[in-house]
Amino acid sequence: MKKWGEIALGVVTSIGGFLEVGSIATSVQGGAIFHFQLAWVLVLGTASLAFLMEMTGRLAAVSRRTYADLLRERFGYRFFVVPLLAVFIVSLLVLTSEIGGVAIALQLATGIAFRWWAIPIALIGWLLLWRGTFSIVEQGTAMLGLVALTFAVGAVKLHPDWGTLGRALLPSTPSRDSARYWYIAVSMLGASISPYLYLFYSAGAIEDAWTIEYLSVNRITAGLGNLFGGGLAIAALVTAALVFEPRGIQVDRYEQIALVLATPLGRAGLVLFIATLCITCFGSTLEIALAIAYLLAQGFGWQWSENLKPGKDARFSTSYTVLIVLAAVPIALGADPLQLTNLSMVVTAASLPVTVIPLLVLMNDGDVLDTHVNGWISNTALVVIALLSVVLLVAALPLQLLGGG
Amino acid sequence: MLQSASARRAALALVVGAAIAGCGAAPELDQQLETLSSWTATLELAKERHGAAAISTTYATQLADAARSALGKTEQQIGHAVHSRIDSSYAADALDSLRGAIRQLDAETGR
Repeated sequence: MKKWGEIALGVVTSIGGFLEVGSIATSVQGGAIFHFQLAWVLVLGTASLAFLMEMTGRLAAVSRRTYADLLRERFGYRFFVVPLLAVFIVSLLVLTSEIGGVAIALQLATGIAFRWWAIPIALIGWLLLWRGTFSIVEQGTAMLGLVALTFAVGAVKLHPDWGTLGRALLPSTPSRDSARYWYIAVSMLGASISPYLYLFYSAGAIEDAWTIEYLSVNRITAGLGNLFGGGLAIAALVTAALVFEPRGIQVDRYEQIALVLATPLGRAGLVLFIATLCITCFGSTLEIALAIAYLLAQGFGWQWSENLKPGKDARFSTSYTVLIVLAAVPIALGADPLQLTNLSMVVTAASLPVTVIPLLVLMNDGDVLDTHVNGWISNTALVVIALLSVVLLVAALPLQLLGGG
Repeated sequence: MLQSASARRAALALVVGAAIAGCGAAPELDQQLETLSSWTATLELAKERHGAAAISTTYATQLADAARSALGKTEQQIGHAVHSRIDSSYAADALDSLRGAIRQLDAETGR
């Protein structure tokens, strides 16, 4: 019974935690320009993330070590510096975008310019991390993040053509504006498969003291949670396809995105959109600040746990303190949050090989996983994701130049 | 050594020149017309939604301000992308439409 409770909580956490600034912005941009046509990218991104989370969760439950720990131990410190630096830079960019998302939500609600909100958001986030425990950060914000279900309600109320949407779940090539189509596709993949998501998940498994008995919880959480979470991203794409695309509205600023729910749901839609943007981005702000601090602590062998008093893991606590303030600075200086989001999603996509390819080795290492090494399905999926990550690395920069507008 | 230093300077000058040219280049006219028309449609939708009390005046005002900023930016750049009288007439129509949409939303929100 306890296990089912944990599964339910894990699934709810994944649903609430899936949507954030990147997935909302890129899904809405995709729907506004290409109608349902890019829905397949969300299917691909969601399935990839589900596999990566299941594997890093299994790795942590069986070996009792995080993915970052194992990366350093198995490949040596010299190699570990590469993913450490890549994930650090990319995640810091995403963290800045998330703070920008919360700031924009507060601007939409109050009319006070977003740049004034950046530092207060960073301070509140830091206070929660400083005083809170892992379960408060993980479950509290994710539970509130269920407000994102509004996108599903909005999509259903707009009566989409389910047949067309079903066909769009299969890959297709664009009939026009190829550079922009692939640019948005890469951004959507970057938003779906952010390394911080599976690094945070892996560290969370250690925080929650998972053992081999939790393998089924891990499998169901990673599978079902991402299935529902990805469904919400598709719902965001569908609402944009039905509200913006027929009117020829492209999304150049966050201010435009709020109209997407105000159309099917009226005043409640606007309020719920603002709440969704604010809560989901704030939840992600906390998770990313922790994920980077985990990575640094695990990389340098420091004491770390969100459940410890800050004085007991001073370097870990100092890391997230510095990071969250550092990430707020560009927003406080007036950097455009939407441009920053798009850039950070493309850079994220390009950074994937350094964390995905080593997983292939670890997931087949009997010394680490004993009898729980990858089977052929997981290995096939991981090879496909690794190849995809290499394609994204090669394509990201040219697409940023050609399609990034 | 001198040769490689001057080659490096020439390469640097090329890169900087290309970057300056790239940064200064105006986007294509089609893209600018698309942006203008997208903002016009955004404001028309906002006016309709504000009329139906589905969006707040605070939010509608922010949309009008964002459109004004996009209009100002496009007005500065569009001259470089216009190459003929027909181009010029398309650009003028698109700019007028957005100016009109801003005026209408301002009137709707009582500005």
